[in-house]
Amino acid sequence: MSGAWRWLRRNALLLYAGVAVLYMLLPIIVVGLFSFDETSNGKLDYRWSGFTLDYWRNAFADESVNEAMRTSIELAALATVVATILGTLMALALVRHKFRGRGISNLLIILPMATPEIVIGASLLSMFLIYGITLGFTTLFIAHVMFSISFVVVVVRSRLIGFDRSIEEAAADLGAPPLTTFRTITMPLLAPGIVAAALLAFALSIDDFVISNFNSGTTETFPLYIFGVSLRGIPVQVNVLATMLFVVAVVCIGLVLWQQRQAERMAAVRPEAEPAL
Amino acid sequence: MRHYDKRARGRSALVALLVLIAALAIAACGSDDGVGGGNSDSETEVAKAGPAKGEITISNWPAYMDTGKDNTVNEYEDKRGVKVDYVEDVNDNAEFFGKLRPQLEQGQSGGRSIFVVTDWMAKQMYDLGYLQELPHDDLQTVFDNILPSLESPSFDPERKFSVPWQSGMTGMMVNEKLAPDVKSVNDLFDPKYKGKVTFLSEMRDSVPLVMKANGVDVDNATKQDWLDAIDKLRDAAESGQIRRFTGNDYNQDMTNENVVAAIGWSGDTSIIENEDVKWRMPAEGCILWSDNMVIPKGAPNTAAALDWMNFVYEPKVQADIANYVQYVTPVAGVDEVLPKLADNELIFPDDEFTKNCSTQPDPPGSKEDQQEVTEAFQDMITGQS
Amino acid sequence: MTALRRRLIPYGLLGPGAIWLILFFAVPMYFMGEMALRSGSLDTGGFTFTWEWQNFSDALSGSNEQLVRSFVYAGLATVFALLIAYPLAYAIALRAGRFKLLLLFAVVAPFFTTYLIRTIAWKTILADASPAVDVLQFMHLVPEDGRVLATSGAVIAGLTYNFLPFMILPIYASLERMDVRLIESAKDLYASSTKAFLRVTLPISAPGIVAGVLLTFIPAVGDYVNALLLGGTGQSMVGNVIQSLYLQQRDYPEAAALSFVMMVAILAVVVVYLRLAGTGAFMGDEDERQA
Repeated sequence: MSGAWRWLRRNALLLYAGVAVLYMLLPIIVVGLFSFDETSNGKLDYRWSGFTLDYWRNAFADESVNEAMRTSIELAALATVVATILGTLMALALVRHKFRGRGISNLLIILPMATPEIVIGASLLSMFLIYGITLGFTTLFIAHVMFSISFVVVVVRSRLIGFDRSIEEAAADLGAPPLTTFRTITMPLLAPGIVAAALLAFALSIDDFVISNFNSGTTETFPLYIFGVSLRGIPVQVNVLATMLFVVAVVCIGLVLWQQRQAERMAAVRPEAEPAL
Repeated sequence: MRHYDKRARGRSALVALLVLIAALAIAACGSDDGVGGGNSDSETEVAKAGPAKGEITISNWPAYMDTGKDNTVNEYEDKRGVKVDYVEDVNDNAEFFGKLRPQLEQGQSGGRSIFVVTDWMAKQMYDLGYLQELPHDDLQTVFDNILPSLESPSFDPERKFSVPWQSGMTGMMVNEKLAPDVKSVNDLFDPKYKGKVTFLSEMRDSVPLVMKANGVDVDNATKQDWLDAIDKLRDAAESGQIRRFTGNDYNQDMTNENVVAAIGWSGDTSIIENEDVKWRMPAEGCILWSDNMVIPKGAPNTAAALDWMNFVYEPKVQADIANYVQYVTPVAGVDEVLPKLADNELIFPDDEFTKNCSTQPDPPGSKEDQQEVTEAFQDMITGQS
Repeated sequence: MTALRRRLIPYGLLGPGAIWLILFFAVPMYFMGEMALRSGSLDTGGFTFTWEWQNFSDALSGSNEQLVRSFVYAGLATVFALLIAYPLAYAIALRAGRFKLLLLFAVVAPFFTTYLIRTIAWKTILADASPAVDVLQFMHLVPEDGRVLATSGAVIAGLTYNFLPFMILPIYASLERMDVRLIESAKDLYASSTKAFLRVTLPISAPGIVAGVLLTFIPAVGDYVNALLLGGTGQSMVGNVIQSLYLQQRDYPEAAALSFVMMVAILAVVVVYLRLAGTGAFMGDEDERQA
């Protein structure tokens, strides 16, 4: 009995983590489940009425869903890249350098997070119109980068704080130019923070509704499409695509990691080539 | 250790000022004085007709168009050689207005030639000068086939700026097993259904129905009648009688039986996957409304837009739409094309069925009065005193 | 590298992002501020600029209940999110080994599906008659004749769930750089697990915690969609009021004024929080190290 108790205590954290992961995945599990649900009219209902693979077979039948999802993924990918770059640079400046205007910069970074989306959306719209910029993908891109930068800065900054500079100093002592140090030492150590920030930016962009609604013109993103069709019934293909998106994202990472492990194994087996003297 | 010393703080303030001035300078380059007020002083344009060609963009509500390869949009493209960009981006009248207003203010329509909004929104847009007038001479098919009851609605008696797309009825969605005796809107206030009842957040649906249940004639209601009805709703909301004010999301609540009776729209029965749930005509009558096609100022290719309106008013074309949409079709003669649906009183309601119904009213009085009623209703919904 | 060059580096790093934010945030905000000082109405001649400071006091007095409620909901959601996210981030960063990135993705990827789909799923799970709610009633977390949906609990739960990635990712990012051997050495020095955690792990993860708290609390205050879909008639937040003012009442000046009031209130809370947490954990001033 005490053996079991001890096992429980030692593995409490992992058990908890398992439960927490389940909690976070619960909606997507339900979404996935209902993508197999048989419905009378092809629209999502909220009751289980039988198993069918129909919607998976016809996953791409609804062109408007596909187009909306494609637009959202493109937009999110593009906005994530730009926002992550801009935000990381800003974080580096704020943590590692003393300069005038730090207070203002901090304000400029926090305010977008505090502003209600409808106000950002509407003010941006007015501004775009005044400057005669056509509403569409470009304005969406601008808006998405804008609201993601703040989040990227805060996440990367938290990684940068307390960063052990001694490794970088050692590299400098060994004669490495600053850019090389940055490239080969700082960036890899910073990478998990940047990846975390990019994930967050991607999630923000692909989920944005209010700001996109105001600034999209007639372009349709996935959230806009969903809010639209929820009026008269969401096609089950939406659940199929959502589940697919999740599975693909996780499998992709799994493949990348597996491939990394393979590379590591190969490197361990193959003898090192002697550098030419 | 102080992070900022006095000089640094002063410098920060200076930088802030400079940034502000820069922003002001940029903003001043294109300032927007006197926002609103509309273009009512500028000329009312009449949409120009002509041979239909080129391309048009139409904004409509979701699920208001039949689907499939030979849907009406494709049919139109084939028959008339006009390319149609059909966009379903009208989800809510107020939201659509909110995002289009800045453009309409400047006489632009965002590329749209037609969009579809409910009666009251069409009127508001017209009053603000955002819409073009429609030439009846170029809309022969429309006015030959329009249902007599829709020829002269109170919000647009001469049909100057609107042509109905589809009509509908607001009444009650009732779970016949769990709330069989709900026959009037007053039954929604019955304590035995506490917390299992919802009303619509659309003021012009919920409030008139409550007024009707109180015996008020909504076409001649006073501002006080509206405010009294809003008070009744507020009391019910605060006591927990009314669970929520919903948009269309009452559908999920009714399917899951979280809610046993709700104010709802007649065309929504197909979305609710619960055989016990039916749309019921309240004893005191329903609210009739239409979603209308309008042509905004700045619309490109009005010729094709007018042609489109004529096209969808041909009974055979309309039949495909009506069959899919399952709301009330505004075109006469469709019941002959669809004999199977002719008995469905939710799609082809006869006068007997709708004898107590009223068209969706606006709050009475001046714009200030209307604003007061709107504010009272919104305050009630957001729980403000 | 010349001294001048070195002094210009931070501005160069800061520049692109700052310009983007100034052009596409600060300028629109100026418009919003200008609108907040206007009066009039859309239907009766438009809005004119009249230094209408009264908009601000109207906004504050009319919506103080929703303001307070928003801060309470957001605060509770932040606390719950922190409690849920920290152990999970810890487990992923320090115990998952080579699977950590995979797990991180797996945990964040559900948030790539839209908010509405997730919420519909939750509403299905937590419907009044569902087995999940029965269990909660059995555990007396929910009263016998009560419900989960359309209550404050549902709104707070919705806020917590939807902001979890905002809490997990920064904490993960700052925990991940911790060398596990630090804990081992602490234990070698006879520290208990708890002590090791409090004196070693917690301080190292402090920047991540502060970041997560800010990223969760700040946007949560202005949220409207959780209260809209999961709340009932008594759960309106400031975001809902602003939505209503802007879209339904078309009272743009008051919507703008209320937004400003909310933003100032948020900033005030953030400043107090950063004072308490120690600005080093946020600013990362190289001179201000944690004790």
